[in-house]
Amino acid sequence: MVGSVPIAWVLTLAAALFCIGLFGALSRRNTVGILMGIELMLNSVNINLVAFWRYLQPTGTVGLVFAIFTITVAAAEVAVGLAMVIAVYRARLTINADEVDTLRG
Amino acid sequence: MNYIVVVIFLLLAAITLVSGVMVVTVKNIIHSALWLIASFIGVAALYLLMEAEFLAVVQILVYAGAVSILVLFAIMLTRHVTGEGTRMLYERWWVALLVALVLFGAVIVPTIWNQGANWDAAATAAQSSITAFGEDAAPGTAVASTINIGESFMREYLLPFEIASLLLLMALIGAIVIAFEEPTSRRRVLTLAEEHALKQRGIVEPRDAEGAVMPTIEAEQAL
Amino acid sequence: MVETFQQTFGAPLWLAVVLASGLKVTLILVGGSLGMMFLTWYERRAIAYMQDRRGPNRVGPQGLLQPIAEAIKTMTKEDTTPLEADRIVHFLAPVVMLAATVLTFAIIPWGNLFPSDLSVGVLFFVAVGGLHTLGMLMAGWGSNNKFALLGGMRGVAQMVSYEIPQVMAVIPIVLMTGTMSMQRIVEAQSGFGGLAWNVFTPVGLFAFVLFFIASLAEGERTPFDIPEADSEIVAGYMTEYTGMKFAVFYLANYMTNLAICFITTSIFLGGGNGPGVNELGGFLGGFLSLIYFFIKALFLFFIMVLIRATVPRLRVDQLMGFAWKFLLPLVLVNILSSALWVSITRWDQQAQIFTTWFGAPGTADAPNFIRLGVAVAVTVAINLGALVMVMGLNNRASQEHMRATDEELALGL
Repeated sequence: MVGSVPIAWVLTLAAALFCIGLFGALSRRNTVGILMGIELMLNSVNINLVAFWRYLQPTGTVGLVFAIFTITVAAAEVAVGLAMVIAVYRARLTINADEVDTLRG
Repeated sequence: MNYIVVVIFLLLAAITLVSGVMVVTVKNIIHSALWLIASFIGVAALYLLMEAEFLAVVQILVYAGAVSILVLFAIMLTRHVTGEGTRMLYERWWVALLVALVLFGAVIVPTIWNQGANWDAAATAAQSSITAFGEDAAPGTAVASTINIGESFMREYLLPFEIASLLLLMALIGAIVIAFEEPTSRRRVLTLAEEHALKQRGIVEPRDAEGAVMPTIEAEQAL
Repeated sequence: MVETFQQTFGAPLWLAVVLASGLKVTLILVGGSLGMMFLTWYERRAIAYMQDRRGPNRVGPQGLLQPIAEAIKTMTKEDTTPLEADRIVHFLAPVVMLAATVLTFAIIPWGNLFPSDLSVGVLFFVAVGGLHTLGMLMAGWGSNNKFALLGGMRGVAQMVSYEIPQVMAVIPIVLMTGTMSMQRIVEAQSGFGGLAWNVFTPVGLFAFVLFFIASLAEGERTPFDIPEADSEIVAGYMTEYTGMKFAVFYLANYMTNLAICFITTSIFLGGGNGPGVNELGGFLGGFLSLIYFFIKALFLFFIMVLIRATVPRLRVDQLMGFAWKFLLPLVLVNILSSALWVSITRWDQQAQIFTTWFGAPGTADAPNFIRLGVAVAVTVAINLGALVMVMGLNNRASQEHMRATDEELALGL
């Protein structure tokens, strides 16, 4: 792939996916929808890391190790985030992010 | 210039991007989660195209196999019974769209303008360091494979590896504690065997944790 | 196979790759479906004989055409979708399940032939098996039926719980062989005249039993078949499926079990290796390895059928307790013991003390029996000790639980 696809294309794909995820995380009301946007952003970061690894330092392992750690941290964050969503749903019977505003003042 | 690889890359990129767009624009949130799974699998296919086999399999195992199930469970456990009348996006969603587009432009345009040629030159230079193939090659001569990742986890990156495992343990315990539900005392009907066993011990009217009388089958039949 | 295409037709590389891949995919699909049909017939006859009756023996000689009759029946049944169900999700669920199953066939070594040799073959099998849970959840949700949803969630909980012992039971083999590629794992079991199977080492034997039990749960066989139990929850997540969609679920189920039998054979029972394969070589050797492979896989399937005919079904909480409290600690201890095995039998520079105590590590032709004996003793002791401890803990916990419930009721609490 390195000879045929310039790295700029892969980076553009990753940036586009990041911006799509950002739009989802900023504009959706459903908390689970916001978390899905965050997952898209983390995936785009991983694509970036792997592209730089493959094109610029394929014999080292830094890029891959970084990507594996990103996947690990993302999985942990999704687990805790969804646990909080379930707890908030039990207390307030809502999952819209703008209806959880009792601290507003 | 291998045209087949270019076509495959464009196809996979289209699948991933279209799935991503559908994630954030579909109204039904279950469909949104399913499109998210499609984008995860598209990203895994891209990893496979870039010869990161272990990462592709880990992506499917962790993301498409576990995180997506978690997301679907969370959606199913928090369904509002009154229906889907609520709106999906905020009123000023166009602000978010503007921010996303401006960010995309700000990130991509300068880098491709300035650095594109430098990276291509560095990429072709870096490929010359690949002199062997397969799993048996000495480290540092072939594209890094699973064995190299394992070795670097045990050598240079041992501390982050241990910290990551602690992080996962914390997330596991934290998620269980946050979403914990006290087991409520169930007001169930006692079976005939349990009723008989209690009668043998001399208890005629068994009560549960709150002091109310537990219903039994014989009592209900007597009514 | 790619080279053969290139040479005989003089086709460019990309065309040869496409044709070879197409041929392999066709063979897998056809072979998998035929295998599934044979398995359904075999299971029904075997269970019937175990239950002192005959089983289907009317359609064709000995009932061998029975699966074809069933296929015709399912194809001609009406295909309904529930009224308020999510049509797209309802339609895609059997597709996803079948796709996950057929993908797992990509890494199975048939005798000594390989469709594709991934360097992470074993992990790929588990990863794609995780897509099963997705199909189950989609089926349970898309049916707009409370029983289906409940059955789907229970099924997903079961499969996710048993994925962990299943993955971790293969890790000792990966540690001992040093690679995750299926081809190399099969090749590493070809010593001793084709009988150096992984199941003959104590670590491998334990891992085989644990992997087989966890795979029984993954393939939804009794005693773990809560998701499709006919007498418990109607048909679980498959309640609202009729006709060809139900047949696709059925096909995916049996193909999964077939794939599990094949994978277990390759990893633990030496897949294709057997007495005489290495000596014959060439085409005859390949054919003999294929025969050995099928014999071992069908023997494993016979054990699955035997377990189905004899053991009653586990309740859902018993099932989950079994996975988390019984299988998981044993699997972790097995990994520890396999690490000890590798270090005792192979380490020379990393731990000089082993060389001073036991002598240099032996090669394949001249094994160091002292090291081997010490390793066997240590691993057997650790594994059996863990088994006894876990069984004792579980027994005490369940007795404690029963006594607590009794006391609760007695005190009127």
